Amino acid sequence: MTEQSALLLRKQLAELNKNPVEGFSAGLIDDDDIYKWEVVIIGPQDTLFEGGFFKAYLTFPYDYPLRPPKMKFITEIWHPNVAKNGDVCISILHEPGEDKFGYEKPEERWLPIHTVETIMISVISMLADPNSDSPANVDAAKEWREDPNGEFKRKVARCVRKSQEMAFD
Amino acid sequence: MGNCLKSPTSDDISLLHESQSDRASFGDGTDPDLEPPPPYQVKAHMPMYHPTPSQARLATQLTEEEQIRIAQRIGLIQHLPKGVYDGGQDGSEKKIRECVICMLDFVYGDPIRFLPCMHIYHMDCIDDWLMRSFTCPSCMEPVDAALLSTYETA
Repeated sequence: MTEQSALLLRKQLAELNKNPVEGFSAGLIDDDDIYKWEVVIIGPQDTLFEGGFFKAYLTFPYDYPLRPPKMKFITEIWHPNVAKNGDVCISILHEPGEDKFGYEKPEERWLPIHTVETIMISVISMLADPNSDSPANVDAAKEWREDPNGEFKRKVARCVRKSQEMAFD
Repeated sequence: MGNCLKSPTSDDISLLHESQSDRASFGDGTDPDLEPPPPYQVKAHMPMYHPTPSQARLATQLTEEEQIRIAQRIGLIQHLPKGVYDGGQDGSEKKIRECVICMLDFVYGDPIRFLPCMHIYHMDCIDDWLMRSFTCPSCMEPVDAALLSTYETA
């Protein structure tokens, strides 16, 4: 299984290098470790995150694709579904059958056909459309629900600015 | 857990030695008075099971209920039709070239598994997944529900 996961990840990396997908870039943190990826997500247009460059790490288990990777933002990001330590909490990154809270449908959870590309598409859509029903950052969720154009918008704008400074350093 | 394997009245050393291999495979505690336990060669070959998808445990570490559920799952998986990839000549696999789990093209002669929803995968790829989640990765159809409905319509 270890061999298979490395092969599958190498194949995806080669494919993404050859045909980059709009909205994010992907590579390895260390060229010798195929299980640890670094991605940069471009804040989607017409959202509060527009203009930002958000760096995140993806850590794959050796039994990928049977189990999902973990994703952690390294760039500071204020979002209801991203914990304050950067951990991304979206249903497709949750193990199948492991529904701690009882409201995820099986099809919304991890499937072995997910790739870096499909994960990134989900994360980009999460940025555009937060889900405050299962927040990882309760404060951000509360601000977003109560006044998305107030304190929430200000905090996101600060993250976007900081991410640009980091990206162009 | 009872220690039904031990017979404390027996002083016959040869008997004790004979039961050694049995004990090791049950993971039972060994008597400190005896010679050191045999090396754990058995362990390396013992398959891992996943009572929930994120847990990996040896067969000896499963509860009785988990053992039954896993045995039932293995039985169901083994009843799913299997075959050998023949390049898609019979029509049903015509357009399917790639196993979407490992993203490798099917090669003539690869063992494949057919799910009731008609999706096909490499047998190794899908069987490992089905042990964790009994759904088709492509259409999310629960395999057991689909099995039941094929019986009903048959």
